[in-house]
Amino acid sequence: MSMKRFVIIGNGPAANHAAKALRENSSESRITIFSKDPFRSYRAHLLPDFIAGLIKEEDLYNSSYAHYNEMDINLRLGQRVVSVDFSKRNVILDHKEVVPFDGLIVATGGKPRLPEQFQLFQDIMLTLKTPLDARMWVEKLSNVDSVLIIGGDLTSLSLTKALLKLHKRVKFILNDDAFWPVPLNEEIYRAVTGRLEQRGVEIVHCRRIRRITQLEENLLEVETDREILETGVLGAFFGLVPDVGFLARTGLDIDRGILVDEFLKTRFANVYAAGDCAQVYHPALRDYWVSIGHENATALGRIAALNLAGSHFEVQVKPESILEVGGVKINTSWWTEF
Amino acid sequence: MPEVDFTVEVCGMAGDGTIAAGGLINEAMSHGGFSVLGFDSYPAEIRGFGRCVTNSRIGSNEIVALGEKTHALISLNDEQSRSRTPSLAEHSLVFFDSNPPAYVPEDNSLLSVLPPGAQVFGIPFGALAVGASGASRGRNLTALGGFAAVTGVDPNLFRKVIRDKFKAKGDRVVDINVKSFDAGYEYALEKFSDRLKSIFSKIETDHDPKKVMLSGNQAIGMAAIDAGLKLYFGYPITPATPIMEYLAKYLPERGGRVVQMEDEISSIGAVLGSFYAGTRSMTATSGPGFALMTELITHGVMAEIPAVILDAQRGGPATGLPTKTEQSDLHAAVFGGPGDSARIVIAPTDVEECYHFVIRSFQLAEKYQTPVIVLTDFFLDNRVENRPLIRAMEGQAASWNVFPDEAFKDHYQRYADTPSGISPRALPGMEGFNFTATGLEHTEKGSPDYSPENHAKMSEKRHRKLRYALKDLEKPAEFFASDHLDVGVIGWGSTFGSVLEAVEKSRKNGFKVGALKVTSIFPYHSETIGAFMAKSKRVLVPELNYEGQLANLIAHLDSKPVDRLNFVTGTPIPPSAIQSRIEELLGVLA
Amino acid sequence: MKTPARVLADQVNQIQKSGRFSPRSASLPTWCPGCGYFGIHQGLNDCISSLGIPLTQIVTVSGIGCAGRYPFFSKTYGLHTVHGRALPAATGVKLGNPNLTVFAVGGDGDGLAIGGGHLPHIARRNIDVNYLLFDNSIYGLTKGQPSPSSPMGTKTKASPYGTIDKPLNATLMALAYGASFVARLFAGDPKGITEALIEGIRNPGFSIFHIYTTCVTFDKNFKTWAHLKKWTHALPQDYDPTDLGRAFNEVLKDDFSLGVIFKRDA
Repeated sequence: MSMKRFVIIGNGPAANHAAKALRENSSESRITIFSKDPFRSYRAHLLPDFIAGLIKEEDLYNSSYAHYNEMDINLRLGQRVVSVDFSKRNVILDHKEVVPFDGLIVATGGKPRLPEQFQLFQDIMLTLKTPLDARMWVEKLSNVDSVLIIGGDLTSLSLTKALLKLHKRVKFILNDDAFWPVPLNEEIYRAVTGRLEQRGVEIVHCRRIRRITQLEENLLEVETDREILETGVLGAFFGLVPDVGFLARTGLDIDRGILVDEFLKTRFANVYAAGDCAQVYHPALRDYWVSIGHENATALGRIAALNLAGSHFEVQVKPESILEVGGVKINTSWWTEF
Repeated sequence: MPEVDFTVEVCGMAGDGTIAAGGLINEAMSHGGFSVLGFDSYPAEIRGFGRCVTNSRIGSNEIVALGEKTHALISLNDEQSRSRTPSLAEHSLVFFDSNPPAYVPEDNSLLSVLPPGAQVFGIPFGALAVGASGASRGRNLTALGGFAAVTGVDPNLFRKVIRDKFKAKGDRVVDINVKSFDAGYEYALEKFSDRLKSIFSKIETDHDPKKVMLSGNQAIGMAAIDAGLKLYFGYPITPATPIMEYLAKYLPERGGRVVQMEDEISSIGAVLGSFYAGTRSMTATSGPGFALMTELITHGVMAEIPAVILDAQRGGPATGLPTKTEQSDLHAAVFGGPGDSARIVIAPTDVEECYHFVIRSFQLAEKYQTPVIVLTDFFLDNRVENRPLIRAMEGQAASWNVFPDEAFKDHYQRYADTPSGISPRALPGMEGFNFTATGLEHTEKGSPDYSPENHAKMSEKRHRKLRYALKDLEKPAEFFASDHLDVGVIGWGSTFGSVLEAVEKSRKNGFKVGALKVTSIFPYHSETIGAFMAKSKRVLVPELNYEGQLANLIAHLDSKPVDRLNFVTGTPIPPSAIQSRIEELLGVLA
Repeated sequence: MKTPARVLADQVNQIQKSGRFSPRSASLPTWCPGCGYFGIHQGLNDCISSLGIPLTQIVTVSGIGCAGRYPFFSKTYGLHTVHGRALPAATGVKLGNPNLTVFAVGGDGDGLAIGGGHLPHIARRNIDVNYLLFDNSIYGLTKGQPSPSSPMGTKTKASPYGTIDKPLNATLMALAYGASFVARLFAGDPKGITEALIEGIRNPGFSIFHIYTTCVTFDKNFKTWAHLKKWTHALPQDYDPTDLGRAFNEVLKDDFSLGVIFKRDA
């Protein structure tokens, strides 16, 4: 293969495995990774350990900067892609730089999902997706001793372990939105609340949050349909949604994520999507499914890269491993990991 | 107490306000009590076409050498700044205009060539400046605002130096520029709230009002004025021209005059003429001009006429590298020209010494009636340091002229062979002392005489005088003095700062290393230098030249060979290069 | 500093009687017997004596060449510099001490060849130096090579087949360079030299005295005594030296008219 320019948008497991596979299959090409975040690729599941003080921040990261130099991969952190021009085959960055590509893999992953009813309060709710978020938790926790968590995704459960280790008082509000992408049923609800209460977490029962008010810098008031609660810090944990908003008007087919065929190809030649940002066609189901989780991401990233480099691998997922939540078909190792 | 040693570069095209921005950083940090050493480089080409870079090393301890790795790069022109990325330190901070007037292709972008660990801070410099002042000219100040916010510099330091810089242009201009700075500051504070570093805010410093930010060139100019200079004769040449420009501005108000001559030959000719007439004058030049002067310099030696010549060395030979630094005129300064023409050569090592050495050069020239050459270089002349610079007190720059005794009236011997070799010198206008100064070999009276005895006698007299001059020449200074050294490093000129830093670091690593600063190049203190060499197992002489010119001069003072470290990169020797050479030599010893 | 005329008049007799201000030094000039330089020496010495300028207030600056030795034959202060550099040194002396009267002396090789680059600049700076250019169109001290003012076809050991370069005209150059006082003189007329010098010294700027002279040893063909006596003559009766246009015309059409060619109106 002659010298080609490959661009990968995103810096998570899908992106990094795609870059590695591209390099292995195309030693001459120019490979650039763009990440809107100013930090290296990290192990998201270790963030609670960092918050608990069990590991140092440096331990969160997958590979050193030198690794990218050795791989001859241009890692460009903190540089946001704002659009892609598929006719001119250019990626356009926030700072008005235009980067041409011969092949493109979109692997932007997900971003914390915030149900509409909470969007008004997003400035005063913490999420936990990145090391930056983790740093904010660390900073906040040094000044407060109570935490209220709304939602109940996997991250919130492991964070809770960390919070208890730090001797914080933790309260939990679980509602319909909380377990996305797992449908909340009686069985799951009982299992989770049981386990949390066993550890000393107080479960708050309510149907609805009416209002959240910041009283002081480290004091929030939360009014539910049943009571008024006070807490030092408030966390929102409703899972992740594909982070593809910037591609909205580029001509790509987007539903929840970027629609790709079973080879992870988009409707544009040599443009692929992989990981949490993609919605993959399943020939047997005749429908698209959303991928969530680290294992899926690495596999999909690799397949996208190999196909871009000229192979023809099909994504193999058993139909029965795909579940449907709120009308969205999802494949995740989430529940089994819990 | 936390320490800081931080290097920031500003890079842009001529016209971007790069040099101004770098200057403001220096001033602000100096005012904040930090030690600052700054160095700008700019194109040899005319204004408007080249890359300008300022480099400022800012420390909580005294900074004596240029920074090697850049911790922050402020890019006022991304295409130009691409050349600066190789010297970026790990995790360096990069400030750039995130909203340039036009879209930039990847191959021209700065961000596409940054090392992966670089931390980028995109700030819409131009747009913010327009918002703050109505024009994009202040984008260098918005950039400084962003830098200050992210690195934790007290914004009042910048506001003060901006006010000082623009106050002559009126309140409106001051206001606009402070607003531009503030716009960048506020923007970055808000936008990067989760990525702010407190690099400078943690450091406690004392502001020393006696410290001033000064370039070598300014110190030289000030010294010349404080020495009562009446006449400057010169010809434009990089990098000596700023001295002429400084004096052209300030000399007239002191009753002096700058005469731009037709070449360097006429410049030194006029300097000799005015000193002959009893008036302090000087010229400054660089290698190519110095070469033209050498015949008349030896005339000064032979006719025993004072002269002060500053040679701001640049890369050579011939036209060489006009805007690059080198220490390769030492041979020419000491030996250049016809015959046995020993003259005094001194070389300051920092901005403060530039001042004191220039004042002293007039006195030495007067007393020893010979040209005195002050060797500086591009780096020393153009770097800025904040140092407590105490200006000469009344009398400190007094004349050292040696006039003849009235008793010799009407039978005066201009070139009398005295024990010191110094012949009292009459000035035109003195009744009964008329003489002719000549570049022909001459008798004590001054008449041409080519006889073997006379030439032998008078050559001896002139060289005896030079040996005698040693008592008025600064002795080499030893740093980290000790009875025995594993490696003794001898440094001179602008390189000495790097020597000092390297030796200090090697000593921190537990090595027995010392440094000797040689400022009197000719004649030199052979006993002191020889003793230092003798007590060092290895002697290292780092220099910015290929030939090892100081090493050649002093190598004979000890029986073991001198180790050399020669850089001809046109840039200052990095301390780390000297340190590794030291440690390499130590490895050899062990 | 100029000596005022009325003081001068009072002093002249006294000075000439005392001999104290006789500028002639004890050392005898090394010039060849019959050299034109003796005439110039006399002309300059008479000027100094008659003006009564104290010898300690005079500096005679020279370069290299037969004329370069001049300061040794004078009791003024002397500055004998290197080849071609009398004018820059004289510039330094005059600016260094404006009270001094400064003469620069030198030959055509020193002033028009190696030092030729300095003439335009001292002229345009109008430094108050009085420059006596001894023009014999030959290098004497190096024993007879062609100089920049040698006529085409000059044969010497260094030009056995004759020179092919055009000669320079120092008077014309001085006019073109904007010298504020230009005189053309002849070594065989010391009195004329004295008169022109007395007038030129009063000019508060650069004055050049272009003096035709001989080299009796190395030039037997061109600027010989016989030729110069025959060729030279006074300027026209109605000549006006303040008219620069006229000066150019005069010099362009006549190489040998003598006198004050140009002086700038004060």
